[in-house]
Amino acid sequence: MMIQIFLTVLLVGVAVLVAVQRTTSRMLRAAVLAVVAFGAFLVWVPQVTDRFAEIFGVGRGADLVLYVWVVITLALIVFLYLKVAQLARKLTHLARAVALGRPRYPPGDRQGQDGATP
Amino acid sequence: MKHTAVTAGFERVTWVVVPALNEAPVIRRSIGDLRSVFPNVVVTDDGSEDATGDEALAAGAVVIRHPLNLGQGAAIQTGIDFALSRGAAYVATFDADGQHSVEDLRLMLEVLCKERLDIVLGSRFLGRARGMTRARSALIRTGVLFTNLTTGVSLTDAHNGLRMMTSSTAKRLRICQDRMAHASEFIAQIGRLKLKVKEVPVTITYSAYSIAKGQKMTNSFRIVLDLFVGWLLR
Repeated sequence: MMIQIFLTVLLVGVAVLVAVQRTTSRMLRAAVLAVVAFGAFLVWVPQVTDRFAEIFGVGRGADLVLYVWVVITLALIVFLYLKVAQLARKLTHLARAVALGRPRYPPGDRQGQDGATP
Repeated sequence: MKHTAVTAGFERVTWVVVPALNEAPVIRRSIGDLRSVFPNVVVTDDGSEDATGDEALAAGAVVIRHPLNLGQGAAIQTGIDFALSRGAAYVATFDADGQHSVEDLRLMLEVLCKERLDIVLGSRFLGRARGMTRARSALIRTGVLFTNLTTGVSLTDAHNGLRMMTSSTAKRLRICQDRMAHASEFIAQIGRLKLKVKEVPVTITYSAYSIAKGQKMTNSFRIVLDLFVGWLLR
């Protein structure tokens, strides 16, 4: 009973956070809320997961939940890693533009009037 | 090195790109040597925490500075962008730590011009590598094998910082690997663009300084991971 109340409070918290998000699209918010609601349902009626586990050929419902969770987490890690790599590329372009915008010339340099500039 | 009629004066329309990170103790000398042959040198200061930029400037190089450390690949690409903006006819890359020889670079320019190639790469395995440890040699050779297998270009030394290319080659190449995987990326793009490439034997002098600053074995894993992520983001 204790764990069910604890998990439900957490899920309600997540639902509230998602519901007040204005930057994410309405579709995405609805999808996340649906997942949270389904999670809350499973918290109170865990026997349902056993039925699903049976369908997928997994011994127990709790095991099925664990497996699904591992897969989702791994997918999320890969997604975030690629996102970070993309951000790094943008940062590189920004830093490059800053660098090229303010070159320092050695004393006496005629800024390319020595035949190297067309 | 005899100064031949074919390349006489071509040094003056060449821009040499020198990526540098915390090289203050040695860079003035490296740039001085370099500028005795190639007057146009651009140092990309990759967010150094020492006086690398001031030292390079004092030696007569143009200095552009990344506001934060991005990596050698990014520094090279930034330097190439600058060189092209200054109307370079030839673009070279050269390491800041003094392990390369200026005479080798001049020879590479001559080969590039005489044989009408797109890019000339230095090879320490065709030439000499002074003071290279056996472990380093084995590591680099493994890297070469990996690069040859993945790019379809057959070279003896795929990870040499000494390169000489025409400006049209410099315009076509685009290094997206910010860190050390850029060396393999160079080769991959040479293969993809079907560039006319040749390796020239060069001498690399390993000093205690360059070895201490050089690549660690463990970085190889990072390079392979970077290449994989780069491939995913293509």
